[in-house]
Amino acid sequence: MRWLKRIGGAVAAAFLAWTPVAAQTLTVWHDLGDNGIAWFERMSAEFAKARPGVTVRSLSFPTDQWFGRVIGALNTDTAPDLIFNNYERVIRIETQTKRVMDLKPALESVADRGFLGEDDLRVATYGGKMIIIPMQRVQMALGARKSWLDKVGEKFPETWDDVKRVAAKFRDADPDGNGRADTFGFALQAAKPRDLIHMLDLFVFGSGLRHTLVDPAGKVVIDQPAHAQVLEEFLKTYSGYRFVAPDTINHSFPEMYQVIEGGRAGFFRVGDWNVRKWYQPAVLNGDFVSGPWPKFDSARPNSVVIGGMRGIAVPENSPNKAIAVEFAKFMLGKPAQQASLETVGAAVRKDLDVDKLSPRSQYFARAEHRLAAYDFPESIHAWYPEIEAAFHRKLLAGLASGSPSSPTPRARCARWRRGWRSEAHPLLRRRGGRGGRAQRGWGGQWRRAEPRLTSPSARFASCHPSYRAARDRRG
Amino acid sequence: MTATLAQIRSGRVFYLFVAPFAALTILFGLWPILLSIQVSFTASATALRAAPTYVGFANYAAVLSDPIFAASLARTLIYTGLSVAANLAFALAAAMLLDSTLLRRANVFFRLAIFLPVVTPDVAGYVVWRWLFDRSFGAINAGLAAAGLPPFGGLASVDTVTAAVLIAELWHHAGFYMLIFLANLAIRDKALEEAAAIDGATTLQRWWFVVLPQLRPALVINLVYATIQFLKTFTVVVVMTKGGPSDRTNFVSYYAYQLFDQARYGEATAMATILFAIVAVLSLAAYRLGDAR
Repeated sequence: MRWLKRIGGAVAAAFLAWTPVAAQTLTVWHDLGDNGIAWFERMSAEFAKARPGVTVRSLSFPTDQWFGRVIGALNTDTAPDLIFNNYERVIRIETQTKRVMDLKPALESVADRGFLGEDDLRVATYGGKMIIIPMQRVQMALGARKSWLDKVGEKFPETWDDVKRVAAKFRDADPDGNGRADTFGFALQAAKPRDLIHMLDLFVFGSGLRHTLVDPAGKVVIDQPAHAQVLEEFLKTYSGYRFVAPDTINHSFPEMYQVIEGGRAGFFRVGDWNVRKWYQPAVLNGDFVSGPWPKFDSARPNSVVIGGMRGIAVPENSPNKAIAVEFAKFMLGKPAQQASLETVGAAVRKDLDVDKLSPRSQYFARAEHRLAAYDFPESIHAWYPEIEAAFHRKLLAGLASGSPSSPTPRARCARWRRGWRSEAHPLLRRRGGRGGRAQRGWGGQWRRAEPRLTSPSARFASCHPSYRAARDRRG
Repeated sequence: MTATLAQIRSGRVFYLFVAPFAALTILFGLWPILLSIQVSFTASATALRAAPTYVGFANYAAVLSDPIFAASLARTLIYTGLSVAANLAFALAAAMLLDSTLLRRANVFFRLAIFLPVVTPDVAGYVVWRWLFDRSFGAINAGLAAAGLPPFGGLASVDTVTAAVLIAELWHHAGFYMLIFLANLAIRDKALEEAAAIDGATTLQRWWFVVLPQLRPALVINLVYATIQFLKTFTVVVVMTKGGPSDRTNFVSYYAYQLFDQARYGEATAMATILFAIVAVLSLAAYRLGDAR
């Protein structure tokens, strides 16, 4: 009888030991591709040391699909345990589902969190909820082909005038030495409004300005001289200066990367996540240098731009909510952050070992240059994405009308003005601008900003004569 | 009632064979359309939930008051008109040429050359066209430059993008319409043309008064099919222009897709339903117009 009890006890013990293994598989949905999958695999192995039997399985989707799947899953109670992405994308998930958990109590229970600054926590908060725990600061620098700089006898540019001079050489001096005029000064993108704002933000924040369209109080800033100067030069980069490929107006991320990785552009954006791939022999073979965005004004310091914050979020209807929150907290720990730095190229902790990284990765990991973060207006103004999209639709219209098919700059400007009058004014009237009533759904700050927004119509079109006159008057 | 039952009983074999296809049509054809229409009456945030919030015609009101949708719809209709005319004209001309004896041995080659794009995967074809139109290394501009002609704006210019997209679509679709015309030409009564020739009709008169009326069935089919096809233009936009530049190719299907991408399901399905209604009405009108005697 005794042996029967022993066997029974052993079976019971084995069952108890086995049960958590079967029950605890956490699923994370992200859009980081292979690097992200490798990161989560390393974290899963590390997490299992503290929580034996718990495994973490990550699935990577293209960003567009990630949105649809996450929103669909949260709305149909088939959510994954965790979701990982940029803060502004999680904001969209929250606005569409209202089912992203408030992680503030979870973060407050983490003792070792002093490396998270005020800005980090601000972008993690939306509508009074901490919708993500910040995990990776996304840094973006100006990149240049090193061999091309050597070929044209230039150093990495410091000012915008330097950039223009070097970009013209990249375009005209056959820096790749193939005997053909097939190189460009810049690789940019403009196919979608979001692509264009992304590029403009780099120029704006990299040159020391603090806001693109509006400030935290909702006051419009785009017509201020310093902002107008950057905007004007930014638009000329696409058009008058002829620094970009003629088809850039149809280029989104894939096409922009084709131009960069195909070795056809001298200046480009380098994200911390690009570095590993661009070291591969078949890509750029490490033939690039990174630095801060150029100075437009000697009085303003230039910077590398923190263009976003990636973080982990837990859906309210997560199947394993408690363990998911525990894993989210674990991701702030040193092992997980070290893995993040080594696989994805970004982290938030400052006590990580960076010596093993490549020199270009170390540039980001050590934050060797001044950093300037986006102002993250989405986290303050719920209406911001809509006005941002409208503004950039106007910019795209302006760029399109400034295409090479227009015979002269004067004609381009005339077409631009016509486009502004016919398209932008109705929009502003709808939003409570000149000649219209303020409408429900738009913040008080925006209404206060009306007179500025509806002043010189050339605000979006820097080539407008009245704009120039106004700027000259302001000195 | 008894008579109806008797009819069903007498045709039971017919209904037995039809039933599986009817079930499949309802399941995979009608049911998704009805579901889509249902979603168009719900709030986007709740559209996928078991108990969605119904908002009446709010999504339709939002779509119809959206100036971008109005512009998109206008562009779609104009593009459809241009594309239908260009495709049918080209296909008819090609079919007439291939039906004649002018090309002799080259006939098979040209038939193949014009029809081959139809069986080519559309995405692959449009990617190649995008490269052809590229302003910096595309073959078209290289050819124009070699001939001393001014460059073609292609996909990068608001003035030429519609034409560029239309050319790519014509390359892909015209072979199918040509095939329909060729089939119709093959079964026409050639004795009528001979009689007209004996009566002294010129070549143009024979074509206009004798051949063309006999092509009415092919014209109607092609007109209806092309109208449906080009009202729903989507793939070419995704691959070649992404709706740009400056929304110039932001046709309704692509605009609805963008809203789906932003999880605005209610408005997107409302837009799709409006397009569905337009397609149905225009197709019916085209059919009636072509079939009228």
